[in-house]
Amino acid sequence: MAHKYSLHAVYFCTGCGIIEIPPVITARWDAERFGVIPVPTPRQGNLFMITGYVSVKTLEAIIRSYEQMPDPKYTVGFGSCPINGGMYWDSYNTIKHLDKYIPVDGWIAGCMPRPEAVFIGVTHLWTLIDKGKADGYLRYKKNYASYRKNQEALFGELGWPPLYELPNWKKEETISKR
Amino acid sequence: MNETLKKELQSTFNGVEIVDIHETRTAIIVPSVSVPVVLRKLKESGLNRLSLLSCVDWIGDGKFEIVYILTSYMQNDDEYTPNDEWHVFLKTKIPRDHASLKSAIDIFENAEPYEREIHELFGVHFDGHPRLTPLFLTQKYEVPPFRKDFDTRQYVKDTYDAIPMVED
Amino acid sequence: MTQVKETAKNEVQRELEMYFGPQHLGMVGNFSITLTVQGDRIVKAAANPGYLHRGFEKLMEYRTWIQNFPLVCRVNVVEPDHMEMIYSMAVEKLAGIEVPERGHYVRSIYLELARVGSHLFGLWAYANMLGFDTVAQWAMYHRDLILDLFEALTGGRVYHIYIWPGGVRRDFPKGFKDKIVSTLHQIGGCVPDYDDTFFKNRLFYDRAHGIGKLTAEKAQRLGATGQTLRATGMKYDIRKVEPYAAYDTVEWEVPTRTDGDAYSRIWVVRDEMIESVHMIFKLLEGMPEGPVFNRPPNPLRWNIPSGEAYVRCESSRGELGCYIVSDGGDKPYRVHFRTPSYPHGLTILEDVLVDASVADVGNTMISLYVVAPEIDR
Repeated sequence: MAHKYSLHAVYFCTGCGIIEIPPVITARWDAERFGVIPVPTPRQGNLFMITGYVSVKTLEAIIRSYEQMPDPKYTVGFGSCPINGGMYWDSYNTIKHLDKYIPVDGWIAGCMPRPEAVFIGVTHLWTLIDKGKADGYLRYKKNYASYRKNQEALFGELGWPPLYELPNWKKEETISKR
Repeated sequence: MNETLKKELQSTFNGVEIVDIHETRTAIIVPSVSVPVVLRKLKESGLNRLSLLSCVDWIGDGKFEIVYILTSYMQNDDEYTPNDEWHVFLKTKIPRDHASLKSAIDIFENAEPYEREIHELFGVHFDGHPRLTPLFLTQKYEVPPFRKDFDTRQYVKDTYDAIPMVED
Repeated sequence: MTQVKETAKNEVQRELEMYFGPQHLGMVGNFSITLTVQGDRIVKAAANPGYLHRGFEKLMEYRTWIQNFPLVCRVNVVEPDHMEMIYSMAVEKLAGIEVPERGHYVRSIYLELARVGSHLFGLWAYANMLGFDTVAQWAMYHRDLILDLFEALTGGRVYHIYIWPGGVRRDFPKGFKDKIVSTLHQIGGCVPDYDDTFFKNRLFYDRAHGIGKLTAEKAQRLGATGQTLRATGMKYDIRKVEPYAAYDTVEWEVPTRTDGDAYSRIWVVRDEMIESVHMIFKLLEGMPEGPVFNRPPNPLRWNIPSGEAYVRCESSRGELGCYIVSDGGDKPYRVHFRTPSYPHGLTILEDVLVDASVADVGNTMISLYVVAPEIDR
């Protein structure tokens, strides 16, 4: 599994946690010695770091970016907000559990996590990839009906067709809602 | 300048109440129909900068209080006078049901996003605003979220906690 | 969504609607702009905030006065120290609490270190956008040295929760003053390198000259503050207009330029960084001895008398203000933050992008020093 040593991280600053990503990818806490570099588009990435809390508007963008990434792909929840809501547990605009909507392979706790914690997370992800346990993308395919049902429960009608075959889906005009 | 301005306001408009909160902060309370003329008068007297447009929900009285915080830029580019510190809070109260007020955009052009936000979060309609479309929110709420009768913890329980986890 | 328009030369140019959206290498922070373009020229721009909206002001009404301190520093993630300062100033104004003199000096030194760190972060973003990657790496490295100072002082790299109503949480540890001086000498000694590589570079001038030009009259009409206003010629700085903490005890100048374009704004940022470093040295020399903290009443059972206040301070982006209303209880009744990125990112950005080229959108946005979490709160 040599691809674990060259994880391409999608450059998407989703929340508070973006403040600790530039130190991680620049000269002092160099992430490139672990093989992690940022890439501009999700079509070329295989590591998705959700840095911080996720609001409802961002979740739409996250799902679209996640579905554009090619397999095998890994998701890491960064910070304590994607785990259970964190500091904004009673906010009306942030979602509380990220793994109800997309599959997550690992979590890094902290508010903010230190750069050393990010590297421990990446090396732990390598052992999970070796053992075959980092299977978020396989779980997404297997349980796609439940994930899509949760996404539709939050947004109403989604403006894009399902990624995998769904038995009951009616093919209608798929124009983006915006 | 402050004393003459106060006398002018009190003699020209009726229903004006002036309260000194602090030595550099003064509150002027007017009825809601006089807000455009008083704003124009204050702008002509030198208070040419709108810092903030805010809204407070006094649910006990059944009214919204709209607050315009006005101050001035410096008279010339590099001299600091004590007058630069002075702020005026122009306050007015409107009823909570069918809350509406005339927009301040033709007097202060930078009031546009503040009015859009207050419309979205409190439900106040501003007449004459070119685009009162949602600014931050995407979901529909029965009660606008910043009102005091919207319980955010109950909303979280009903919406987000009701969605089940995905079982393997 | 697409319309066909005939130009004067009978060329048919379509108008397209594009999203300079949240997942973009040129976007700093989670913010999106909907552009209507014709060829390479922008016809109309509509800012689309809301990706980071948490409803802070509503959440603060559910927590007591003291429980709000760990929450309020997360409004602006790049520079949390000024958010702590403004909320603390607001609570002290309502409750009538005084800060001892050494507390004012410690707060000023802490805030100026935060300002230098925030400007280095902005320099990373801007240099990265233009393609000057070397300068971006240096800026991030020097900012990390300042975060080491914060970690020695408060225990945390990013969120410190150091300013408390009545002063600061604890005094400087032993040997901290020498650490500040040696770190600032190390950073200040690199200013000639920064100048040669970036600030006096011909390529920076060519790319930033004339971009996002604002006249003094337009900047005042649209509500600009901070570097956006000082780059048009007015010396409007809250630390001089309405001094707070220890800023009126040292001699310092407000740097300005007159052109009002992106080049001037970044040069004002550079001059401000150097002025802040000199200010820290002067404050360290003039610091008196004494306590740093006036204990407030029991914070677990603290009712503040009813009233309202509007306080303001100068953050690294412009005027940061807080309008606070209390009804005599133990929780705030209404808090409203007047953040500097609100007029810059919504009104001024939409005005300045008309008739600009698509390649300059990131350039304009980052030179206006817009930080997305401040807009959405």
